[in-house]
Amino acid sequence: MLTSINRKLGLLIFIVAAVYLYLSFQLPNYEYAPIDADVIPKGLGILLLVLSVFLFFSRVVETDAEKAKRDIPKKELGVIAAVFAMIFVYILLFETIGFIITTTLFIFFCSWFLGYRAWKTNILVSLLFPIVMYAIFVFALGIVLPRGILPF
Amino acid sequence: MDAFQGLLTGFQVALSLEGIMFVLIGVIVGTLIGMMPGLGPISAIAIMIPITYGMDPAPALVMMAGVYYGAVFGGSTSSILLNAPGISGTVATAFDGYPMAQQGKAGKALAIAAISSFVGGTVSVVLLMLLAPALSSVAISFGPPAYFALMFMGLTAISSLSEGSTIKAMIAAVAGFMVVTIGIDPQTGTQRFTFGNVNLFDGFDFLIIALGLFAVAEVCMLILNRKNRSLSDDQKLGSLKLSKADLKEMSGPVSRQSFVGFLLGVLPGAGATIASFISYIFEKRIAKNPEEFGKGSIKGLAAPESSNNAATSGAFVPLLSLGIPGSGTTAVMLGAFLVLGVQPGPLLMTDRPEIFWGIIASMYLGNVFLLILNLPLIPYLAKILSIPRPLLISLVIMFSLIGVYSISFNVFDLYMLLVFGALGFAMRIFSFPAPPFILAFILGGMMEQAFRQSMTISNGSLSIFVDSPLPLSLLLIALVSLLVPAFLKWRSNRLAYKQR
Repeated sequence: MLTSINRKLGLLIFIVAAVYLYLSFQLPNYEYAPIDADVIPKGLGILLLVLSVFLFFSRVVETDAEKAKRDIPKKELGVIAAVFAMIFVYILLFETIGFIITTTLFIFFCSWFLGYRAWKTNILVSLLFPIVMYAIFVFALGIVLPRGILPF
Repeated sequence: MDAFQGLLTGFQVALSLEGIMFVLIGVIVGTLIGMMPGLGPISAIAIMIPITYGMDPAPALVMMAGVYYGAVFGGSTSSILLNAPGISGTVATAFDGYPMAQQGKAGKALAIAAISSFVGGTVSVVLLMLLAPALSSVAISFGPPAYFALMFMGLTAISSLSEGSTIKAMIAAVAGFMVVTIGIDPQTGTQRFTFGNVNLFDGFDFLIIALGLFAVAEVCMLILNRKNRSLSDDQKLGSLKLSKADLKEMSGPVSRQSFVGFLLGVLPGAGATIASFISYIFEKRIAKNPEEFGKGSIKGLAAPESSNNAATSGAFVPLLSLGIPGSGTTAVMLGAFLVLGVQPGPLLMTDRPEIFWGIIASMYLGNVFLLILNLPLIPYLAKILSIPRPLLISLVIMFSLIGVYSISFNVFDLYMLLVFGALGFAMRIFSFPAPPFILAFILGGMMEQAFRQSMTISNGSLSIFVDSPLPLSLLLIALVSLLVPAFLKWRSNRLAYKQR
């Protein structure tokens, strides 16, 4: 039954729409509003439900270009997942260790991981970028970035 | 204040030292980011928004506008040199620009693109200057039903004009609208879909969505293409000089397509990408020698380049005079306005003339700067295309993270950036267009408000949308714009299905 990609996507979106719709029916009522907060969400939920059914039953043949976009080697997906993991670790450590150190490490290792081997330039950029950004944001724009374990 | 006086006010802003400086910063940054294949104007604007915090709104918005049209201007460079369009609005530029570059005439192609863009941009600013005030004075009498209908029309237009499946575009739009319902309802104070999480009470900031759905998702695509060719040092650009015959040949397409581009830019849903394709096809149809198109035709390069830049300024008409963006990019522009506490719309021209006219006046200046940047300086600017992809990827990720952190100082938002980045990547892979999502996200809150205001006026009767002619006709246009292309697509698909 789930032969084509549109069927799989249609089913997934149907589930999302159903959950959203269920949650919109749980919204509390507020007596004095002529149009309460749940009207638009209910409408959107129903609309998405209908659209997902359309997508499920649509006979639209996927174009070759669309197929090619979907056809990504597993290894490349792994690379993207690894970059996301690096960002995740960055966010995790960002406020405790501080902007400059985490950013330096991130730029260096992320660029290295993606195949950048000119390590001298890499070190230079990884050091200069966070310092310049920190200076611009903290001193020129007055936006405080986490200082972390560094004294300045 | 009449238009002439207004324009004088505008030039006072644009020609002040501050104004000139920020126009210049805007167009340079826009050109550079626009040049990077894979990074579009939405990412360019979103990355620059944090810089404007605490700035005076007029120079800040002058700069942001410069980033936008600068990106469209700069996008042509990588289309011509690398056959990798910098932005989607310059895809058609590569059709004839890249063959020209392969024939050793890259310099000439860049010059044609720059001059066409300049003329398209400038013609369009003149038209913007004439049309926006007129539309403002009409729109001042629009009530909530008309506004709701206008926004609804914008959403249906962008969905039906999106590349690929209309159903997928509509799903993207509905999803964008759903995301904006998360948070405390501003009218009743009801918590919607927050699950008691304090971080969700205010909903998602639009910058998280814009940077996630565009910048981070574009980074994912860059990771996939990281081994693609970047500009090699030995690539010769050739002479930038154009002969009189060249200029004569491009004069026709440029003068026609500047107007076509502007009109398409004003209409909701179209924008630079569609304008450039339509202009390309237009010129090919009427050309005496259409077989030259695609092989390095001057006309085929000049047409999309004048049109996409004209469409960019044209898109400012609904944004400035109605306060309603018609495309994904102008939706993010609207976000830039709101961050600075400026509400564009019919009142902008009278309440904040320095902003309304300042932006328009600065566009004249910005186009001149861009011509200078893109003609004599282009060989140096193009060097940025040789930045190694891995380094570029890391830096764009950093800009996105800093941008989100500096709006809320909340790490939760950074995780959400990651979530929307993954969503944007999935949408790209499965061919769901992202512009309808961001437009619906930006318009969603305003639409819900307009809808509920209308219903309050009419005591809960939907008839308010069909009783007066303006909302009724707008809604009918919206319906037709949605059904006609959908029907045509459905029919052609059925034919294709039967033939298999």
